[in-house]
Amino acid sequence: MTDNNMEFPTQENVNVANQPAEDVTSAPQSENMTAAEAMGDAAAAVAVAPIETKKPKKEKKKKDDYRVSNFDIIKNYRHYSAKEKKHYRYIFWRRVSSWVWPFFRFIIVFGLSFVILYPILYMISTAIRPQAEMNDPSVMWIPKTIRFENFVEIWNAIDYPNTLWNTLVLNIVSSILQVATCAMTGYGFARFKFKGKGILFGIVIMQIIVPTQIILIPQYMQFRYFDVFGIFNALLGDSISLVDTNWAMYIPAFFCNGIRAGLFIYLFRQFFRGLPKELEDAAYLDGCGPFKTFISVMVPNAASSFLTVFIFSIVWYWNDYYVSSMYFTQGNTISLKIDSIATLISMYLYNEVRNASDFLVWMEAGCLLAIAPIVIMYVFLQKYFTEGIERAGLAN
Amino acid sequence: MSDERNFDLAGEAEVNTEAAEEVVTAPAEAEAAPAAEAAPVAEAAAETPVEETAEPAAPVRVSAHNTAAAAAFNAANEEVDVRRKNGEKVQRKIKTTKISYERKKSLYGYGFIALWAIGTVWLFLIPVITSLWYSLSDTFLYAKQDALMHGMTTAGIYTEWNDFGNYIKAFTSDTTFLPNLGTALADIGPKAVVILIFSLFIAVILNQKFRGRTLARSIFFLPVLIATGPVISVINGDMASQGVSEASQFSTLFKTDLVTELMEFIGIYNINQTFTDVIKDITSDVLNLVWNSGIQILIFLSALQTIPPSAKEAASMEGATAWEFFWKITFPYISPMILSNLVYTIIDAFVSTDNVVMEQVLGLSRDWEYGYSAALAWIYFAIIAACLGVITVIVNRFVFYEND
Repeated sequence: MTDNNMEFPTQENVNVANQPAEDVTSAPQSENMTAAEAMGDAAAAVAVAPIETKKPKKEKKKKDDYRVSNFDIIKNYRHYSAKEKKHYRYIFWRRVSSWVWPFFRFIIVFGLSFVILYPILYMISTAIRPQAEMNDPSVMWIPKTIRFENFVEIWNAIDYPNTLWNTLVLNIVSSILQVATCAMTGYGFARFKFKGKGILFGIVIMQIIVPTQIILIPQYMQFRYFDVFGIFNALLGDSISLVDTNWAMYIPAFFCNGIRAGLFIYLFRQFFRGLPKELEDAAYLDGCGPFKTFISVMVPNAASSFLTVFIFSIVWYWNDYYVSSMYFTQGNTISLKIDSIATLISMYLYNEVRNASDFLVWMEAGCLLAIAPIVIMYVFLQKYFTEGIERAGLAN
Repeated sequence: MSDERNFDLAGEAEVNTEAAEEVVTAPAEAEAAPAAEAAPVAEAAAETPVEETAEPAAPVRVSAHNTAAAAAFNAANEEVDVRRKNGEKVQRKIKTTKISYERKKSLYGYGFIALWAIGTVWLFLIPVITSLWYSLSDTFLYAKQDALMHGMTTAGIYTEWNDFGNYIKAFTSDTTFLPNLGTALADIGPKAVVILIFSLFIAVILNQKFRGRTLARSIFFLPVLIATGPVISVINGDMASQGVSEASQFSTLFKTDLVTELMEFIGIYNINQTFTDVIKDITSDVLNLVWNSGIQILIFLSALQTIPPSAKEAASMEGATAWEFFWKITFPYISPMILSNLVYTIIDAFVSTDNVVMEQVLGLSRDWEYGYSAALAWIYFAIIAACLGVITVIVNRFVFYEND
């Protein structure tokens, strides 16, 4: 037995260098035998060995690993040498985890998906019931009576079609401006060397870090009393107010200072840095200028990440209510309406302001209406959202 | 001869070809007009002979559609050819423009970031400085008439220096600010760490191959769409205010029963009161945890995609366990993103409007106390910036950069 064990590996080690798994994998056959059988087969085993080694190494290793079941490993564990023990422990645990892990993974993914979907399910469940059933302990998920009038009432209360149109125009125009100019800036930072680049990029980082709340009031004053070098004051006798016009959103977006613009510049810079330089060199050789190169070569190559950033921009403009509450006193965007939804619905239904907790079902219905467009967009563009971000250079 | 040189596409020295390109690309850019410059310069160069060996004549590539510059060059070269025919020893050296290629490219760079630069000075730097100035002053908001009455020309916010009065007030007489600050900081710290660990865990799971992965991914990114908006606050508010409906059942499920039992089961319950409290705080908030880590999961997932498959193959050949693989390959690869994610999480928590300090700041600015609210915001910002700096320095020591 010992002879066999000693001889076997050494012979193989001569033939198969650098293959430590080999000596271990061939061992269990002899381990399973009784001592007497092993003695009898020793000569045969030695004779067989050279033939076995002619087989492709990898295939043999796999085959041998799978020949030994986990039960065999447990049964024979105490017979193994230290090296074998380590090897079989590895195989054993890999198998066990390959059975157990998917199960746990399913529980985790399912449970957390439930947590995420819970508020949405809750919203749907409450939005279709009458308010009286909100406080009915016998109603859990499925209401006794289904009431779709909630949607109609909240639809009218927040003037949904108009608000939606306003919000869409505002968001899409701002996002297009923002993505275009941020891409240009990001490209400038990624591909050109100029003096003070480090400091300027430091300002970009500052833009990401400094909260909007700090700069919003001075910014607001600039738009409220909008004036370019005193021209309007001279011409019209007073500065003009951009508050309550869409310009208050378009102008920052056009000048790369819209919502989370710093982050977008950063993303684009990372992305363009990741593109091969040969692309541009080819374009330069064909006689394109930097701007033309950017538009005709870089932009098409970056199309998917443009889309990703655009979606993000739309989402953040859609959800923003802090900046827009500053500039839109009429509250004419979806998120501002949602912010004051309780007042709106109680004014609509009773013409007076009542306690918000009396209007929960309408509020939930309103929330559903508010997220509906963006969720629909997500369903269609989901691929770009999840796959595009992987290529958007975020990780570099 | 001249034709051959003019349309020679294989540039020899890089600088020369690129210099030629400037001319080609010139019409696109207004600020430097080399098309106009090129002609006199080229003529001047042609008239002053220089040894050819020192600097060989540039193979100038001028594309056919670039009319002005091409004409100039051709004219210059033809002139040389004519003189050469006449027996003069004329050698050519063509300096296209006096602006070097690097300089030119840097001008283009400025061109690309020009919009951003204007916007940043106008909409970011000036407001930042103004806000800093407000924080050092008493502020008055005047409409046009009031402003004229006070001897100003336009409406706006006017300030009066008050010897750091706002800052002194914040630290001495304000009874709410310092406790709020403490609460906010104590909130952000553990929350950021938990979000980080959680999102990394989820990202690793979502990066594995299993059935329904696409569905799971789209569900996990759903919070990114919704969580930043006012909708989530309505949902949260409802769930908190209800107390009757299933919302409370849902949160109690996580708050007391499961977690306490789990901790008792493992045997870590009440070893340390603060520890228990922290665990309970985190788990009672599992809804917020999941809903706040959408972006972080996304960032980690994209980082995980960058791990080359060869690393995975090599590791499995060497017999690495999943655990070893995670710590020795995955973790180093994504460590730069851990830092970015940490910074993002802290900033996100720090500017979120349901943060107590932010609430106070916003409340004050709604009451037209711009000076004081700006002072509070700046104190808060300075503290967070300092924290971020320290964290970045510390974490950076453990970050593995592949390219360095």
